[in-house]
Order: sequence, then structure tokens, then C-alpha cells
Amino acid sequence: MSISPSRRILVGVGNAGVTVLDLLSVEYPGMTGLLAVNNDPDSLNASIVRDKIEVPEGDPGEGFRMIDEEFGRIVEGASVVILCGGLGGETGSFLLSALAIRAKSAGLTTMACVGMPFSFEGKHKKDLAVRALEKLEEICDAVVVIGNDQLSSGSPSIAAVGEAFALSDRTLLAALLALTGMLSTSGPVKITRADIHNVLGKPGTLTHFGFGKAEGSNRLHESLERALKSPLLTLPGKGSALKESSMILLLLRGAKDISFAEVQAVVGKIEQIASDSCQIKVGVRADGPIGSALELYLLASSGGTIKKPLKNSESNQTGEPSGADSANNPISRIGTMATIGTKLPQPTGEEEMPSGHSEGGKGADELFPVQTKPASKSGKKVAATSKQMQGTLALDTYQRGRFDKSEPTIVEGEDLDVPTFLRKGIKLNPPIRK
Amino acid sequence: MANEQIFVGLEIGTTKISVIVAEARADDQISILGVGETPSRGVRKGEIVDMETVTECVREAILDAEDKTNVEIGNVWVAITGSHLASFNNRGSLALPGERQIEPEDLEAVEVNAKEVAIPTPNTFLHTILQAYHVDGNQNVIDPLKSEGALLEADFHIVHGIKTRIHNTLRCIESLKIGIEDVVLSSLASAQVVLSQDQKNYGALMIDIGGGTTDYLVYIDGAIRHSGVLALGGDHITNDISVGLRLPIARAELLKIEEGSAADAAGSQGGIISLKNDPRFLGCDVDRTSLETIIHLRVKEIFELIRRDIESSGEGMLDLIRGVMITGGCSKLKGIAQVAEEIFDIPVELTRARNVSGATQIFEDPQYSTAIGLTKYARLVTKNIAPESMIDRLTQGLGNLFKKRSP
Repeated sequence: MSISPSRRILVGVGNAGVTVLDLLSVEYPGMTGLLAVNNDPDSLNASIVRDKIEVPEGDPGEGFRMIDEEFGRIVEGASVVILCGGLGGETGSFLLSALAIRAKSAGLTTMACVGMPFSFEGKHKKDLAVRALEKLEEICDAVVVIGNDQLSSGSPSIAAVGEAFALSDRTLLAALLALTGMLSTSGPVKITRADIHNVLGKPGTLTHFGFGKAEGSNRLHESLERALKSPLLTLPGKGSALKESSMILLLLRGAKDISFAEVQAVVGKIEQIASDSCQIKVGVRADGPIGSALELYLLASSGGTIKKPLKNSESNQTGEPSGADSANNPISRIGTMATIGTKLPQPTGEEEMPSGHSEGGKGADELFPVQTKPASKSGKKVAATSKQMQGTLALDTYQRGRFDKSEPTIVEGEDLDVPTFLRKGIKLNPPIRK
Repeated sequence: MANEQIFVGLEIGTTKISVIVAEARADDQISILGVGETPSRGVRKGEIVDMETVTECVREAILDAEDKTNVEIGNVWVAITGSHLASFNNRGSLALPGERQIEPEDLEAVEVNAKEVAIPTPNTFLHTILQAYHVDGNQNVIDPLKSEGALLEADFHIVHGIKTRIHNTLRCIESLKIGIEDVVLSSLASAQVVLSQDQKNYGALMIDIGGGTTDYLVYIDGAIRHSGVLALGGDHITNDISVGLRLPIARAELLKIEEGSAADAAGSQGGIISLKNDPRFLGCDVDRTSLETIIHLRVKEIFELIRRDIESSGEGMLDLIRGVMITGGCSKLKGIAQVAEEIFDIPVELTRARNVSGATQIFEDPQYSTAIGLTKYARLVTKNIAPESMIDRLTQGLGNLFKKRSP
């Protein structure tokens, strides 16, 4: 395959990843350095991406072993690998992490752009996605996370399912364009890999992403407004997520005539929203023909707003024998990459990289060890509280009463048709029948 | 036309359908001639769910109004609400090549620019309300038509909603062979009679709590800065009581009206409320503290949601609001003002339509604020817009082109 001039390779993994690369190829024909990896032959055959690796169907671990070498050969000579795909499915969740390990261990800067599943796709997918994300964050130099639920929070009830997925693909594409665009900025106003790592390299952070595209006389305001409207730039109940971010990456991409005044106006507006201590890193890529649309991308992150999912210490509390996690998990001891481009620390002992030489395929469940399900934890809790609640109303029943059949009022992810006192777990005295 | 000075406001609410017939007086005030009303069926959370039933209810309400006022109703102004409505502020800009005097067409062009934002495909624009003009960086130019400049910018508050849902309301009225003058955001209508110009200038939040929805609107410096609709209202309080105290909905509603209080149950007098037997209900004793807890938590939550929404929609906006005005049927709930004061930490006033005359008992009730507000809005808009542009507007359907600062 031909590696793009900037020596970066975009790898679309799984159905979502391949779809995104197809969208990209349609929008930017002639783009090089694209690679589609999937275990679904139909999806690969339909794809217009030239370079493809078909993963044999069946156990993803076994499948990965078969393509590992080929992938290694392809990425050889590149300097950046950006993986893209949806988490939650067996293929995406496993392959993304496995390919990331492969690229990272080859000494390449490795980044990922991933979508988290919608909650209607079920808890199993969500769990798988959360575990896969944790791994990716450990391995990659930067991870952009697109929360599909958050994305559709504007009008969940009216959006058709197909539309929701299409929106998710388009957003992933935009995030991919943001990353590649930022990496390809040059000259005095550029964004470096270190900047990207600073913003997106910390595990457990929440990615904030917005993009807008507009042309014509009002292009500046319009693209900025659109970018700022992104649901991924909003923290429920807190307003703009940019307020919580310590560094914001801003990329302006478009016509040659992007003026200094325009850049300044955008930065000024973002400064108004961001906190005083926030650093705004600007990259401009002005190489389009005069009159072409202005694209504006914002990437930032904030920490601590979403709790990290169960960690070792917590899973120990739930009764899992200590060490079980790391024993099953070949990459659990790979620390967070502190700087860009560092080689992977040499794995010690029996914890080998899942490479072609490792001791056989690992299923998704092995790569992401099953943690003690919180369900069993809460199960115990319910039992305990129901004892205390004797003589009071049962509060754990889900009751929407007269709103049972009407369109739910969902705000900030909560079904507000359920009485407030039930959601807050307030005990009431029951009525006394005469 | 004899009817030129008669305005009819129609509100299809979740609890009731009200038709207000009002007459414009020479001093710009409106005088209410009468009200037609029917209990509403087929409306949930402010939106029509059963077209046929609602149409029948609207017919009854219109006939009722015609009977009471002796006015034949031909055209109405309609209020619209529902959680599908959304709003945002947007700035449009227009470069004026070679610094020239600003023409009326430029004001139109800058509004068109401001509307060139992506709204979801199923949506349509309901209002584009002017906030302020800026010329060459000079903020808040009152009349840009007299000034010269190189760059004209204008801020707008834009309200949009799902086309099909707005059309539902229109279809229901049109099927009765009644003309529609315009569709107006409920809170925008209410604000016309609930807030004074001083309050709009000074910074005010108006909250209209109805049966199915809570509509709110923020005015700062005389312009609308934010609007919102929560699909929560008195029905939710009733439902909470019904679930919490295991009462039939009708009995819960009665209990809410007769004994309900939104005040913090910590200060409750406590004790037991005895509910008597009736043919369809076996009596029981309910705990007053429990009742008050249920209501307090819900009302508090509604205000908290509004507060958070305002906070997240504009930096520092909350600090510019100097007073909260609460209206709507649910504002009659005891203790509601104290809860709002706790949440917003600014003076709260319970209010209703003001600066109107006529049938006193009607405008003194906060549940008619929206319907009365519609007639006031109608009066203000028709005065500001030349007749031909009214016709343009109607042929364009929902488009709303305010040439002057909106009311």
C-alpha cells in the first residue's frame, strides 16, 4: 500500500471503522494511507478503500493471529497510526486494542478514534466497550472517545435508529479528520503530537469534541456556532465542557484566505467560554481554494467528570482473587505512555504481547477479563435495604403511572416521568386504609 | 372590517382548552370580552396525541367563546408548546462593501444569515426574534438604518421545533374551518401580559407552570435571551401523589388542589389527612408530611432543571436576572414561590395577566396567562407589521418576519 506523504495510516476497524473510511474516501477522493480491517467479508467487499485486510471469521483472537504479520508489514515505515472504529462489538473491541498494541510495539505513535455504543444496544456491549476503552487508553498516545448516547441527546425520541448510527459515523469521521488535520498542520501556527497527547493521552478523561463547517460571508460565526453546539461539548447540567478543560485544540481548515482577524475572532470567542487558565492551541491549515468552506474543529478533554470504571482495587473488593486480572491480561501491566513515541516497556515474564508468536489466540473475554458484575453487588444491596424498608413503600419498583404510555420526558439521561421521590429513594409513610 | 380590532387567542393546553376573545382599545391595552373553555382530552405534555378528540374539544371551546361573547370567530392566534421546541441565540453578519448606509434589505439579509444554521432535519423555524444590532463593532445600535458601516451584525433568538408536531396543531384548527393568524411560542405569549416593559429591561425570568409543560423565558435588557420548555407540570405532581400514596389519579388531583403544598416538608405541621369514602374510592388516611415531601421534591426539581438550563445556555446569564415571575395554573400551588426563591436566590413573584381590562375574574387567574398573552401579542404584532407583509407571512406558512424589535 502507499503510505501517505505525512507517513500516517488510518485504519478502519470493524463495520463502523470501514464505513468511516468509506465516507472519508468519498469526501476526499485520492487520499492515501487508508486501511480497512474487518472480519465481515461483505463489508470489506463493498468498501471502496483500496487496501484491506480480511480477518478470518470466528474467534477474534485466533483471527488476529492470522493477520498480525500482514498488519505489521503494512504499518512499517509509517510514523503515526490512527485506528478508528466502534467499541462494543466483539470484532471492534478486540481488534482495536490488539492492533493498537501491535502498532505501539513497533514504535509508532498510535492514536484511536472510537465510538462508544448507544445504551439501547445493551449492557453487554457497554461493558465490553468500557473494558476495551480502558485498554486502548493504556496503550494509545491519544484516544478520542465519541459517546453515541451523548451525541443523540438532542432529540433521542425522534431520531430514527438508522439516522442515529449515521450521525455516529459522521461524527467519528469528523473526529478522524480533526486528528489528521491537526497532525498535518505546519508552519508557525501548528499543533504538535505532544499537544494532542497532552489533551487526549490521559486515561479516564472525557473527550470533548465539536466541529462545524460553513461557507459564505458568515462562515466564521456559523462554523463556530455549529462546533459549539455539539452535544459532545456539553456537560449535562454544567454547560460548556470547554470551561472544564485545561487545554483546547483548535483547528481551522479551509481556504487560503483565512485571515488573521478570523483566527483571532475565533480564539477570542473561545477564550470567553474557557476558563482563565486554559491554554488554547491553534492550528491552521489554509490550503483550499478561495471560497471553499471553513472547517473548524475543537478537541478538549476533562477529567474526573465520569468515574473510571472498576479498577483492580475495586474488583478486589468484590471478591475477585487479587492478581487474577493481570494474570489473564497480557497488556494489563503496560503502563500509560508518558511521552510520545516511547517504545513499549518490555513485557516481563509470561505476559507476552499477543503477536504471531504468542501462545495462541486470545478471545475477547481473555483480553478484557470479566470483572465482577456490579449487578451482583447491587443485588446484595437491594436485599439489605428491602429488609430495612419493611413497613414502608417499596421504592425500587419502576413506576411511571399515567405516563406509562406517553413519550418519556428524558432530561440529562433521567426519566423524569418517574416520581422524583422514587428516583431519590425517599421513604414515605403508606396510607392507612379504613 | 368590523373585526379588525378583535383578537382571538387559542391555547390547546394539557388540562384545558381556552379561547380568549379580546378587543384592542385605543390606548393599546386590550380588553377581554370573554372566554370559552373546555377540559382538554387527547393532549399530553402540551402535544396533541389524539387528533379527533382534540378537534372536538377545540370546537366546543370555540362555540363556548362565541356564545359568551357574541363574536363570530374566524381567525385565531395559536399558542404552541412541547418538549420538541428548542432555542438558541445566533449572530448573523453581513459585510457591506465600501462602507455605506444600511438599507432595509441589509437587515433582512443579516437575519437570513443568522438563520443559516443547521437545525435537525425534521425541524422548522418558529421564531427569529431580534436581540440587538451591531455596526462595525458598536454594540446595540438601536436603529442601524441611519448608520453607515462596513460590517453589520445582528443577534437573534431562534426558536425551532418539529414540523409535523406543529402541523398537528394547525391541522386540528384548520379542520374546523378556522383561519390561523400565527403560531406563537406559549412562553412568548404569556410574557406579553405577565412581564412589564421595566421587568423585561431589568432582567426577568418568567416561568409558566401548566398541567403538562413548564415554559420559561428569560428577558435581559429588553430582549429575549433564552426560552425553554420542560415536559413537566402539574400532571407530574398529581401522578407522583397517585403513585406515592396509592390513590386514583382523580383523587390525587383533588388532594393536590385542596391540601397540597410545595413548601419543604421539614416545616410541615404533620398529621393525617382523612380522605372520605366515595362510590369509586375506599377512603383512607394519608400522611401530610409524605404528601408535602412528594410535591416539594418535584417542584424543586423542576426549578433546578430550569436553573441548570439557564446556567448552561449562557455564561453569567443567571446573574443578570433580577426577578422571577411565576404564572400558569400550577402556580396556584401553596408554597411554590418559596421553593423558587430557594433555588434562584432572587425575589420571586406569583403573577398573572396585567394591564388588561374586561372580565376581571378571567385575567386574575394565572391559568389564562398564555391565552390572554396571545391577544396582546397579536395586538403588538399587527400594529408593527404592514398589512401586505402579514399576507406574505401567511402564504409562507410558519415564517415569522419581524421588521421591528419583537414585542
